[in-house]
Amino acid sequence: MKFTIICSALLLLLGLRFRESVSVSTEIYTIQDVLEESMERGAEIYEDYCIQCHMGKGEGTAGIYPPLAESNWLTPERIDEAIAVVKYGQNGEIQVNGATYNGVMANLGLYEDEVADVVNYIANSWGNSGNKMVTEAYVKTIIEE
Amino acid sequence: MKTTLTALMLSFFTLQLCAQEAAPNPNDFDLVTNDDYTIEVVVPELTNPWGLAFLPDGALLITEKAGELIHFKDGIKTLLTGVPEVFARNQGGLLDIKLHPDYANNGWIYLTYSSIEGEESGAHTALIRFKLEGTAITNIEKLYKGSPNTRKAHHFGSRIAFDAQNHVYFSIGDRGARDENPQDITKDGGKIYRLNDDGSIPSDNPFVNASDAKKGIWSYGHRNPQGLAVHPETGAIWNHEHGPKGGDEVNIPEAGKNYGWPVISYGINYSGTEFTEITEKEGMEQPIYYWVPSIAPCGMDFVVNSAYTELDGDLLVGSLKFKYIERLKVKGNKIVGREKLLDEAGRMRNVVMGPDGHIYLGIEGLGIAKMIKK
Repeated sequence: MKFTIICSALLLLLGLRFRESVSVSTEIYTIQDVLEESMERGAEIYEDYCIQCHMGKGEGTAGIYPPLAESNWLTPERIDEAIAVVKYGQNGEIQVNGATYNGVMANLGLYEDEVADVVNYIANSWGNSGNKMVTEAYVKTIIEE
Repeated sequence: MKTTLTALMLSFFTLQLCAQEAAPNPNDFDLVTNDDYTIEVVVPELTNPWGLAFLPDGALLITEKAGELIHFKDGIKTLLTGVPEVFARNQGGLLDIKLHPDYANNGWIYLTYSSIEGEESGAHTALIRFKLEGTAITNIEKLYKGSPNTRKAHHFGSRIAFDAQNHVYFSIGDRGARDENPQDITKDGGKIYRLNDDGSIPSDNPFVNASDAKKGIWSYGHRNPQGLAVHPETGAIWNHEHGPKGGDEVNIPEAGKNYGWPVISYGINYSGTEFTEITEKEGMEQPIYYWVPSIAPCGMDFVVNSAYTELDGDLLVGSLKFKYIERLKVKGNKIVGREKLLDEAGRMRNVVMGPDGHIYLGIEGLGIAKMIKK
């Protein structure tokens, strides 16, 4: 029994390695791979720039730092506004999931590719989904109002 | 068997619950709201006024984190020229500013910032001093530069303070390398430093004879100290520092001592998991006070010969997170009470005792404000 499990685990690992090497050598990337890589980079940026206020699971702090988890800003309708906040910062009253927040988020000084990566991470984590992948080129088109 | 399993599951569940939030401080004081004070904005329209110094002629010097050094007098803001380039990402930028205690005679002004100087990309905290000539900063002398640079954009510190012997103290945060820097005296970051005012190493610094040590270190095992002040009577240096999720601390750092980060802490990871199970260890110092939950302390000063004598001798600390000024009542080397002043006045970045007996505050998205009695 134990042996079978170890064997299957080994096979699975080998399979994964094989898949990786194939995809690298033939350069067949799906949009899913590209998104996952962007999210991985985004997770690192999140830990450096965002986690101290928005917390480890995007839960924020009630009444002070708005949640990113299951946020109504991280939906196809409002993702542009979210990108603008990450790109430029935010000051003043906003509504998130029906609650009012009145704070200051400094301009983080992120490069446009970093904005794309961290937004991809946030917009596809903690219950957020359904958003198109954000690219550096798209971030360039978002201009502060 | 079934009961054991249930008990096991229950205890696991409880453990999980415990780990979500840091344990409250059992010796805490009630935070009492005190409505006796309000603010008056003296310098409007600033984004992130990090540092503040008062020139003898009544002018203010203000650092904006993004990299501007502002001279403010008679309602006029002037941008000073010659300011070094800063790494203005996340918590990096132009940080604290302080006049030499004998500024009237020597003209030296001290500044900390996130410096990109060095071979590696990224940045580390630097301390320089300079003189002011007209609207230019001149005679820049580099006194200290943390190394190596890192692209991590958080935990630079940094605050500056002078003791009565004109030693300059300043802080550098752990630079996002929690498990490498704070406990290693051969590395920069997670330290409070002490230098002579010209940048040389005082001969009585604690690690001058330790091989490979960074000789400027005064104390170590710090996370991200953004408050530093000298006690008006004892002359001792006090600091506060951000914890992670819970565990912000006030310490009275002593020569060569280890303040424990990240081996001991009253905080937990932002994700709710624990990184250490212990809060005490031999050879590591306990804070004189700690906050759970975190208030995100930034800036602090003792109230001395003030316009509000009832506060004299106490310590005022800014809260970025909860947007108020915390009064820590001080008796000797102990904290004996807490009050919330200026509730909801804004994200407090800086607290400075002004020469006119008033407390001045750097408030994000607002400006420099003076605390006045109602």
